[in-house]
Amino acid sequence: MATTTPNFGWPVPTSTDLVKDGATAIEALGDGVDASLVDLKGGTTGQILAKATSADMDFAWITNDVGDITAVTAGTGISGGGTSGAVTVTNSMATAITTKGDLVPGTGSGTFARLAAGNNGETLVADSSTSTGLRYTGNYAAGKNAIINGDFNINQRAFTSITASGTDQFGFDRWLTLGNTGTVTYTPQTFTPGAAPVAGYEGANFSRVATSGQSASNAYATLTQRIESVRTFAGQTVTVSFWAKADTGTPAISIVAGQSFGSGGSPSAFVTGSVAAGTTAKKTISTSWVRYSATLTIPSISGKTIGTTPNTSYLQFEFWLSAGTNFNTRTDSLGVQNNTIDIWGVQVEAGSVATAFQTASGSIAGELALAQRYYWRSSNTDIFSGHGNGSADTTTASSMVLINPVPMRIGATSIDFSTLCLFDGASAVVAVTGATLSRASNRSTTVALTVASGLTQFRPYALINNNNAAGYIGASAEL
Amino acid sequence: MNNVTFIEITDAMTGDVVEHALIDRGNGEFTSMPKSTYDAMQAEQSTPIDTGDE
Repeated sequence: MATTTPNFGWPVPTSTDLVKDGATAIEALGDGVDASLVDLKGGTTGQILAKATSADMDFAWITNDVGDITAVTAGTGISGGGTSGAVTVTNSMATAITTKGDLVPGTGSGTFARLAAGNNGETLVADSSTSTGLRYTGNYAAGKNAIINGDFNINQRAFTSITASGTDQFGFDRWLTLGNTGTVTYTPQTFTPGAAPVAGYEGANFSRVATSGQSASNAYATLTQRIESVRTFAGQTVTVSFWAKADTGTPAISIVAGQSFGSGGSPSAFVTGSVAAGTTAKKTISTSWVRYSATLTIPSISGKTIGTTPNTSYLQFEFWLSAGTNFNTRTDSLGVQNNTIDIWGVQVEAGSVATAFQTASGSIAGELALAQRYYWRSSNTDIFSGHGNGSADTTTASSMVLINPVPMRIGATSIDFSTLCLFDGASAVVAVTGATLSRASNRSTTVALTVASGLTQFRPYALINNNNAAGYIGASAEL
Repeated sequence: MNNVTFIEITDAMTGDVVEHALIDRGNGEFTSMPKSTYDAMQAEQSTPIDTGDE
């Protein structure tokens, strides 16, 4: 009988061993087998045998750790599962997301639904009336719009028409127009109730600039607002948004940001716009009210010198409505446009997204106060409405200290007036023939009033309308 | 076209005489400012819309 090599090294007798040695051989074999199987000894009910090490026949009794899962069942928020083999489960909340910006809010106990991302600039608010309890809405918060009177609601000057020239002329508060060659006419217009171009904001007025007869290379027509301090938005990205429409065709509007470093000393030169600098953008408009937005990069003022005269620098936003070829760089080759263009709802805000329109202050009173920082007018509908009190310096001159309705940017730099008189409470009124600035602070404006004759020296006088509701006196500290 | 006249006003406090520009804007409306302010404004016009011409 052939002898095989034992797998476990047991001392197996060979076929040629002597019979007389059989008992010894069997004992040795038995001992070998016993030693090999010693790890099988012991254990308790339910235990299983596991390899203790990688060595042959090295086992240990352990608690049964073999999985006892018989099924995977999808619970709330997941799907799939199974009872055998490879099982897949899927996060249903994740698959509800289909588009960038989607949210998956709860709709009740253990339920949810997709909430699509809102429009650019919208914010998320709680709203129990919706299925998800959330709603995207326009950001109507005040304080984000750097433009004052962006809805053209404030018209202290009561302007009815301005023929633009190379001199700043203000119509709606804070808005000035400039024009050259041809005829550029700036007028206030009134929305038919319910006709304002944005739902939920009942705009009252809009600006209209009508340009005609222009062709020259130096022609232009602009509507501009200057924002105090050249530091405003310096080095930042801003978004300018507005509604506009044209009378005919598809003209364009160029939106240009410019930086003035003020006066006094040796201020840096005016920085004008260009497409290359990111400070000019051109928008083609139509004959219907449409909202447009442009993102501009306001240049850094690092290395610049601001004028030494306080409060004279500014950032301005220009709406170019016509521009001869002299201004091609500044206006992205807007070109001469003899057209009538309407503008409303101007907003300038930090960032690259146009949010919902809101005035700077969010209220009529707030907007008026903001505007009066630059210009105020005392005007009333009564034919003898009063504006202030003072006394006569001479028989032909009187001084009045008029308290500014709000602290002005700086002391007033000019006065405007119409149809005024001085009244001492007893005698006949004396018509005012001149009103000039005597001295001014941010808190008050002192005016010197002149008359032809008839005042009594040192007698108190009231400055009132001269039997005409159109009378007024105003003070300007415009940029 | 606005009509501009220059008038001298004596300051009641100091007695200084200051020249002012009185601009007749028509319809009985006037704007006045110190002549120095007026002159600065006129100088600005020589560089239309703030250095606009290229």
